[in-house]
Amino acid sequence: MPFRQRLKAITLPLTIISWVLLLLSSLSRTNGQAAEWLGGSWPEWVTLVSQAAFAAFAFIYQRGRPDPLHGNDFAGLLRRLVLGPGLLATVCIGLHLTERFVQAELPTNDETFYAVIYTINLALFVVFLAYTNYSWRSLVLFRASPKLRQQWVWFEVLLGFTLLFRLLNWVPPHPFDYFIVGGLGIFGVYLSGNQQWVAYLNRRQKWEAVLLQVAILLAMTVFVVYFLRIRFDPKLVAPAPQHAFLLLNAFFGAFYSSMGLLVTIFNLPTASVFEQKREEILSMQRLTQLIQKGQTEEEVYAMLFDSAVQTMDADAAWLTLETEEGTTTIQEYRVSPEQINSILQLLQEYKLQHIEYLNNDLAGSSGFRSLELPYGSLVMMPLRSAKRRFGSLYMLKEQRYGFDRENLSILQTFASQTVLSIENLQLVHISMENQRVQEELKIASAVQDSLIPKNLPIDSWFDISSYAASAKEVGGDFYDFLHLPGRQLAILIGDVSGKGVTAAFHVAQMKGIFHALMQENYLARSEREKFPVPSRFMTQANTALARCLEKAAFITASLYIIDYENGGFVFARAGHCHTLYYHSIKEEVSYFQTTGLGLGIIRNETYEKHIKNQFYDYNPGDVMVIYTDGIVEARNALQEEYGEQRLLYMLEQTFSMEADEIKEQILADLAEFSTGQPMHDDQTLLVVKFKSAQPDGLN
Amino acid sequence: MKITQHASADTLSLLLDGELDASSSVLLDGELTKPETLQYQKVLINCQKLNYISSAGLGVFISHLQQFQDAGVKLVFFNMQEKVHNVFEILGLDTLMTIVPSESEATAI
Repeated sequence: MPFRQRLKAITLPLTIISWVLLLLSSLSRTNGQAAEWLGGSWPEWVTLVSQAAFAAFAFIYQRGRPDPLHGNDFAGLLRRLVLGPGLLATVCIGLHLTERFVQAELPTNDETFYAVIYTINLALFVVFLAYTNYSWRSLVLFRASPKLRQQWVWFEVLLGFTLLFRLLNWVPPHPFDYFIVGGLGIFGVYLSGNQQWVAYLNRRQKWEAVLLQVAILLAMTVFVVYFLRIRFDPKLVAPAPQHAFLLLNAFFGAFYSSMGLLVTIFNLPTASVFEQKREEILSMQRLTQLIQKGQTEEEVYAMLFDSAVQTMDADAAWLTLETEEGTTTIQEYRVSPEQINSILQLLQEYKLQHIEYLNNDLAGSSGFRSLELPYGSLVMMPLRSAKRRFGSLYMLKEQRYGFDRENLSILQTFASQTVLSIENLQLVHISMENQRVQEELKIASAVQDSLIPKNLPIDSWFDISSYAASAKEVGGDFYDFLHLPGRQLAILIGDVSGKGVTAAFHVAQMKGIFHALMQENYLARSEREKFPVPSRFMTQANTALARCLEKAAFITASLYIIDYENGGFVFARAGHCHTLYYHSIKEEVSYFQTTGLGLGIIRNETYEKHIKNQFYDYNPGDVMVIYTDGIVEARNALQEEYGEQRLLYMLEQTFSMEADEIKEQILADLAEFSTGQPMHDDQTLLVVKFKSAQPDGLN
Repeated sequence: MKITQHASADTLSLLLDGELDASSSVLLDGELTKPETLQYQKVLINCQKLNYISSAGLGVFISHLQQFQDAGVKLVFFNMQEKVHNVFEILGLDTLMTIVPSESEATAI
């Protein structure tokens, strides 16, 4: 609002100009030299108008200044009030005394000096009132409702109107002026009731406020006495100042100050209680803030202990924590372990160690008397949630009846706040741990996913179809293919015991071993020795795994090497599921019954004795079904397993189909079998169908 | 899974009741890890009520196998259900561990 700002900018110059005008008009009415220069006595209305204008501008200027109250610094406001306007009062007295002194030393009839002093003092009084009353405004309006703010504005406007009384030389009819002045006085008294700020002072500040208010009242008295004294001075040439306005302002200023003084004095005895409450609130705030910072449990307990000891003003205290291992004392304050033990034993005898307990007369109970403790009161506050107990807080005071109901409820709040924060901390830990595990599983899942071959080998001699599904995040199933020179294909399938990241790690290891051992041996003397036969592979893999597999872990695997040039394959089964096979010549489905021990079960060279090779010459139309135990151990609602027999039956029904179809049929049957049941284990299924020989040129 | 223990002078008998999966195998491992287990000449495992054994469960026996052999403790399984026996057999454990049909045969060993 530019107008308001402009008005604000010109109020100070206007105040000074109107005062100078007042001074000059006063001087013009004296009998001195100055009056002659000024061209004789000025009309009275000039003096009155300049007087009123000065008072109005001084108040408006003060009104526009920044709020003298900074935050909650009430004592600071009073201090500035005493230092500033209080100084004005001193100046007033000084000027008056100087004038009296000069008068006494140089007896003269000249009124000039007298008039100057009077005008200055009037200005000081007006400024003093303006400053004081606008400081009171800040206090009245401290946390005030909009209604009260509105009332204050009315108060200001009505006071402003009283300026016009003298200016217009209007004297209200006799009872009426009492009515107006009295009414505004009552309005002032009503506003003086707003002394909420006193409650925000601590004990020391209250004492300070009392002294400062007394000083302000003294300064006000100085002015009032001065003006009362010189009212009838014959030398007074100026017309009487704005009576009603100044009187009302002085009355309000003094009344508010006295009210404040009384309220502060009456509040002094309760100051310590207020401070204690404040301290409790602050401790509570600190406690709450610590939680938000996500500190450790130890810090929360330490904070609780310190806050409780400080707030309760305890003479001795300790805090015990209850864990699965037992009870430990983690915080102590002016108490010896012997004292702690003796009190704990006694409470245990009384079976009181688990409930909230308050004894305000320790000397009155025989058990405690026998302990000869130098304390009169004991309070025990358990820290517990609905689910469990965390510990207990014990506090002692020397005097009897040291703890009241109030203390107990504060302790309860402390305890529940602490329990809440401890539980929060634990929840945060758990969720962080969960998040970490989830992340880990995601990584492991991605690793495992990358280990499963994305492209199946394609050749005209056979047809392969595969299926792999993981139970939950990461399982231990794996399979892999490798083309070997000389028209051979190696197929590895297996299952690592365990789940999660370690399983994924072992899968990766197994895959590495597979690719490393299936390298061509150039030193081999015969064609057959170029690649390890499956049993040799398993023995070597077992030796490699022996060093890195943890004790309870093992791996089952089957390795098939298919030589489709010669129409045969060789495989070894290291504890893995039996191979299901359809023999087209015999038109029969059966499992290859071979023996073989899982990897990592025997971790020395004797493993070799536990693994055998099986050779077989296949015929076109033969079907080989390779799988992991997740298939045959899948369960139905009755907790029955899918089983080898049902799988065998499925192949009997489907052997004539393509590999892909056979797989789909088996999976459909499996899904039907285990409808509504969760997947317990990874499931992997490979179907290999051997085809009739194709012309070489097609390869 | 419930594990019931019965000990005589030189024999420790464990009756496994229920499913030996990842969580219950921790219990079993706790039993077999106790130092006094190696003081017995024989540890008999009654599998009559063992309905299912997971790879974690097998892992517990496998991990103690070598230790038992070194200490001269005989680990004998008996009364094993068909499907559980099948699991032992597929893994090849039947060639490493002593699995007998009945309790009398187990005590006779």
